[in-house]
Amino acid sequence: MENSYKNSRRDFIKKGTRVSLLLTLGVVGGIGARHLTTEKYVWQIDPFKCTQCGRCATSCVMTPSAVKCIHSFDLCGYCDLCGGYLKPDANQRSTAAENQLCPTAAIQRKYIEEPYFEYVIDEKLCIGCAKCVKGCTSFGNGSLHLQIIQNRCLNCNQCSIARLCPSEAISRVKASNAYKVKGSFTKEG
Amino acid sequence: MKNKGIVIFLIILTIVIVTVVTLDYYSSKPDELPENPYALNLTSFEKVDNSQIIYTEIRDFTINFSEPAGICCTKDQIYVVGDQKMQIIDSYGKLIHEFKFDQKPTCVYTSAQNIFIGFRKSVSVLTGDGVKIMDWNSFSDSTVITSITEKSGIIFIADAGKRIIRKYNPEGLSLGVIEGKSENEQIHGFIIPSPYFDIAFNADGEFWVVNPGKHALENYTINGDLRTWWKATSVRIEGFSGCCNPAHFAFLPDGSFVTSEKGRVRIKIYKPSGEFLGVVAAPSKFEQNSHPPDLATDNSGNIYALDLDKKMIRQFVKKEK
Repeated sequence: MENSYKNSRRDFIKKGTRVSLLLTLGVVGGIGARHLTTEKYVWQIDPFKCTQCGRCATSCVMTPSAVKCIHSFDLCGYCDLCGGYLKPDANQRSTAAENQLCPTAAIQRKYIEEPYFEYVIDEKLCIGCAKCVKGCTSFGNGSLHLQIIQNRCLNCNQCSIARLCPSEAISRVKASNAYKVKGSFTKEG
Repeated sequence: MKNKGIVIFLIILTIVIVTVVTLDYYSSKPDELPENPYALNLTSFEKVDNSQIIYTEIRDFTINFSEPAGICCTKDQIYVVGDQKMQIIDSYGKLIHEFKFDQKPTCVYTSAQNIFIGFRKSVSVLTGDGVKIMDWNSFSDSTVITSITEKSGIIFIADAGKRIIRKYNPEGLSLGVIEGKSENEQIHGFIIPSPYFDIAFNADGEFWVVNPGKHALENYTINGDLRTWWKATSVRIEGFSGCCNPAHFAFLPDGSFVTSEKGRVRIKIYKPSGEFLGVVAAPSKFEQNSHPPDLATDNSGNIYALDLDKKMIRQFVKKEK
């Protein structure tokens, strides 16, 4: 009787261990499969909803902001009088600091041929203030626009900019399609 | 002693609650944000002195279009195109005729005999009764037709995609193109950063073309030789700003230019010499950063603006002194 009891206890431990291992394997496998099959989401700005309020520069938890200006060259008019580069009341159309709208001089103006100029954003200098975006949208084709740069974004559970965005332009999008770049992305989505 | 402890606890609790509520009240909420140091304020460029506004809006009428595109008018009829149709309406907005098309028109022009409907890459010629006579389809893949006009049996078609003006005879035979090139170094050819490229003849038979990238209006002979031009670059009310302005223009009977602009949407008048005369409609009358209204004028000097965002025709007349 005593021997039978001992065997029973040993069997119980063996079976229990097997079941525990199987359960652990199942849970780990399930989590792994979920990671593989479930789409990751990230924060992004809809450039057609953005009202260029400037809050992206001051509200992001990152310093400088993970929001940067990007340029759709396809839409650009390559204008000499660029509303995104020059202050509205600029004295001259030149690269002089007092004429530049960008507070960090993050836009480079390059002469191409008379009368065309190319404008390139230096991402390291851009703070995402949207001054150039507002100037371009107000006076030009709207080729300059803001995007959240994913390798700079911490992908917070609750984006501090999205919480304050007055036009609700920031939402979660699938990580596989993480950018809404004007030209390929249209107002209708 | 026991009651005293409870009272002290309640006082501390009250202070904590009041502090938390106060801090929360003054914290950064979307509707209570402090002033943003990076905000770009452009309102000063939208303000127009009342003394500069020399026209007044007397009438507007909603049109049954979801995407209106172009307008022109004759003595007593207004022609509007958009969607996949053209409507002919009287000056009070009453629908007279409607014609359907299989594609979306971009512009319309009426001559003494015909109606010319511009599509993106083709032109349809109709009789005055709306019966199609012929289609002109032999354009380039990159053609974007934005304006049509006619003089002395020559039809001029503005092609914003190719940055040229095409000339045709009434049978659809090409008579060449105008490229806007000149030996004058100050003139570059047509610079068209976006599909706004307008052309028109004034009452004296002079052919004028917008060069929007240069903020200029240029006068060419029918053969394409530059005769004269004027430009006005400024973000102030007196000039044109941005990439592509003026977006549209029309002539008053005295040869003055009526212009409409994109970006800071507004309608203004310039003397035949190019000198700024006054404002027809200030930016406050339009949705900003939206579409520039197409323009038409009649023999009485009335100005009709096709408001593409509000889907209506707005009629302006000169203010009485």
